[in-house]
Amino acid sequence: MTTAILEARKLTKSYGDRVVVDHLDLSCRRGTVLGLLGPNGAGKTTTLRMLYGFVPPDEGTIYYDGKRFSEHRENAKRMIGVSTQDDSLDYDFTVAQNLFIYASYFRPRVEDLAGRVAELLDRFDLAPYADASPHVLSGGYVRRLLIARSIVHRPSVLFLDEPTTGLDPSARLDVWELIDGMRAEGLAIVLTTHYMDEAERLSDELLVIHEGRNLVHGEPHHVIDSVLGDHVIIVPRAEPAREAIASWLRARGAEQVATVLGELRVPVSKEDLAALTARFGDAVWQVRPPNLDDLFIALARRNGRSG
Amino acid sequence: MSALGSLTAVVNWRSWAVFRRNAMVFLRNWRTAVIPPAMEPVIFFVAFGVGFGGFIEDLNYRGTMINYATYVAPGLIAYTGFGTPYYEALYSAYVRMFYQKTWDGILATQVELPSVVWGEILWGAVRGMVNISVVSLVIAIFDLLGLVDVKLGFLLVLPFLGFIAGCAFASFALIFTAIVPAIDHMNYPVFLIGWPVSLVSNTFFPIEPQSPALQALMQVNPVYQLAECARGLLVLGHPGSHLLGLVLSTALFLVPCTLLSVRLTRRRVLGD
Repeated sequence: MTTAILEARKLTKSYGDRVVVDHLDLSCRRGTVLGLLGPNGAGKTTTLRMLYGFVPPDEGTIYYDGKRFSEHRENAKRMIGVSTQDDSLDYDFTVAQNLFIYASYFRPRVEDLAGRVAELLDRFDLAPYADASPHVLSGGYVRRLLIARSIVHRPSVLFLDEPTTGLDPSARLDVWELIDGMRAEGLAIVLTTHYMDEAERLSDELLVIHEGRNLVHGEPHHVIDSVLGDHVIIVPRAEPAREAIASWLRARGAEQVATVLGELRVPVSKEDLAALTARFGDAVWQVRPPNLDDLFIALARRNGRSG
Repeated sequence: MSALGSLTAVVNWRSWAVFRRNAMVFLRNWRTAVIPPAMEPVIFFVAFGVGFGGFIEDLNYRGTMINYATYVAPGLIAYTGFGTPYYEALYSAYVRMFYQKTWDGILATQVELPSVVWGEILWGAVRGMVNISVVSLVIAIFDLLGLVDVKLGFLLVLPFLGFIAGCAFASFALIFTAIVPAIDHMNYPVFLIGWPVSLVSNTFFPIEPQSPALQALMQVNPVYQLAECARGLLVLGHPGSHLLGLVLSTALFLVPCTLLSVRLTRRRVLGD
């Protein structure tokens, strides 16, 4: 296993009395995608802002390539690329000029910048729009340009903050391909997303944050197993024993009994499933493997949010 | 970043990268960006200096008799030198910060926040230089037509004096840019500060307050110092003590306003 190019230890940030990020550890290796997940208000954005250098942590240390960010800030910022969630393109310039002007904010200067811009325009299918204003681009192409811009200076670590929000399914898949390609080239990518399928399919590792703390970290299947267990049962709205099943599961210690559009969704262990089958053999329910959607819903309920 | 670091960021390549970005946009749209705004002081000059001035007797300016148009010409240099960077740093910077999110994109690079602030300050001051140059050209034409009597050679110096003071005006404006909740609230710094300061700084008429407090206030007002410095040069051929006054009053505004702008912008843009 290669060493992490990005590593953060015990990151902590408070605003007033509220601890937003609480002794969070994370790391990301070259050629991997780290999915940063958590419900709204979990502390993802604040974590990212500390990693970009927008805000300093109250406690903890960030390392890029083994060097402290606080002591080697200029070099570290040369190593990172950021694709923000909001559209921060420079609409005073054309598509190609956006890449040129963005590169001018880095030193040492980008070698063979004209060649690099041409390469990115081609690779991100932006060449036909090179001389056009970004205003003419569709949502998917705006996102392509944001990502292309964030790697114009050949960074080693790339932050993608909700890169597919608002895109249609086809555009999402295109962005997935681009992310996969950048990972293959050795970029360390930190990805935040609200799309669980995206996180599950793109991430080599997941870090789930809950109330500013590291809830669970590891490969996607490990994360799901450790939070949710072996199975999820879904009891339809029409099942007469639905409430009885819910009460019975709660009595056995199930904490994550969720109702979605009238359906009961409960993560259960193998043992609970066997006991449930014995107790409610006549009832109708479905069993499926848990996924990140279940995890997200469970965390959101724990956090007192609707979803 | 320390206060010293925030102040010395002016010489940093990052600040000039932000400046360069704004200059590139300006150069693409220079006709629209220069001609209409620069026409305002020109129209004021014609209306007040030449038109209204025809009804006013000559004035005694530090022992030299001058007509009102000659008095008001350097005032319009100060008016332009104040208004251009002030409004540039209020409205244009706000649009870049809030609507276009240009600063968000820039801050995701090696450029740090004090450099964004300095880039805007320097750009506002240079915009002031450009508009002062246009007004100076008009004054030169009026001098050749015999409507004003100024020492033409010093018109070349005025844009540079405008640049110095313009840094103070832009840094002052950026404080409001960082705190106004919405662009409509710019009316406060425009009408409660911009207009009164433009008018009562020896720009259009002389003010000689008796109160020591008001006298002190005038001395620390860079618009007053710029007006008197320009007037001294154009009418008498020397700025008197106002060159030093301009430099000191600029420093008095620029240092605290820049530090405060950085602090408030950090809170607004970075949430810290």
